[in-house]
Amino acid sequence: MSRLFQFARQWKPIIKEGFSQSFLIAKFLCLLHVTNTHVCTPVLVYGPSMLPTLNLTGDVVLVEHLSQKFGKVGPGEVVVVRSPENPRKTVTKRIVAVEGESVTFLVEPALSDRSHTVVVPRGHVWIQGDNIYSSRDSRQFGPVPYGLILGKAFWRVWPPDGFGSL
Amino acid sequence: MSLQVFRHWIPTVKDAFDRTLMVAKFFCGLHVTNTFLCTCALAMGPSMLPTLNLTGSLVLVERLSIRFGKMASGEVVLIRSPEEPRKVVIKRIVGVEGDAVGNEEATAVVPKGHIWIEGDNKHNSRDSRQFGPVPYGLLEGRVFWVMWPPEDFGSVGRKVENNSLERSLVVKKHKRQKFQG
Repeated sequence: MSRLFQFARQWKPIIKEGFSQSFLIAKFLCLLHVTNTHVCTPVLVYGPSMLPTLNLTGDVVLVEHLSQKFGKVGPGEVVVVRSPENPRKTVTKRIVAVEGESVTFLVEPALSDRSHTVVVPRGHVWIQGDNIYSSRDSRQFGPVPYGLILGKAFWRVWPPDGFGSL
Repeated sequence: MSLQVFRHWIPTVKDAFDRTLMVAKFFCGLHVTNTFLCTCALAMGPSMLPTLNLTGSLVLVERLSIRFGKMASGEVVLIRSPEEPRKVVIKRIVGVEGDAVGNEEATAVVPKGHIWIEGDNKHNSRDSRQFGPVPYGLLEGRVFWVMWPPEDFGSVGRKVENNSLERSLVVKKHKRQKFQG
């Protein structure tokens, strides 16, 4: 019994140290998470739908969340949105029109010249990939509620030769 | 002389800084809990009568169910309005992706990745019957408990909509029981 007490007494400072270190790490991760969610976060984007703006094989872009919270995300800006078809997936597209505007788009540019005009309803935005030949966007799934916008991509970090603002 | 005054204030400033940091850490922890575990919401308006009050109910909203798996039909949820992105509304899920919703006059199939929400008070509720199916990504949380007013204190349960076919089966079962009993 006394051996157990001796053992515990030996390990107590180490356990205490372990606790305080992991607490420090937890606090750091908390701060990192809050920054990532509310201020700015890096995102890996890949796929052909935003060529030539973004690479096919993958770019790391910085996404800031402040503009979206203050309602200052407008047409012409590249945004990261939660996909309306698969809520676990996020997609990167460009805002072409906001609520109240009418947007004319080519329905299937690879197949025909047919175009269609739609008025974007209240509280929604119309997003399209820059590469309209290979992009699944509002032309397929319709206008997207503003609440699904996660943030605005404003700076490319990787690859190094693309470093700079979008 | 000014240097002495400065030295006099250092411990007070340090103390104030430490306390502020402690308060900030508490708010950080509270924020993480609110975002990922459980939060409160004040529900107002007539659209969820009789489940929730007209003048205001304080409800508890849990955020785990929407992350780990799909929400089922019949749950009361907190959802960001597709018409006004700054507004958050409370409605009940009536149909999930693939379900057919509606009545005899008009039926719609809920598309993939979307849900169909309706208020319990069908006569005074602006919901999917007006703005269509809502993407699943707009869900904020599931309402599971009413804290205030005290007479409504208790859990908020699932309620599966009775369509006319189910209602007629229930009536038949009751008739059978009455004869046998």
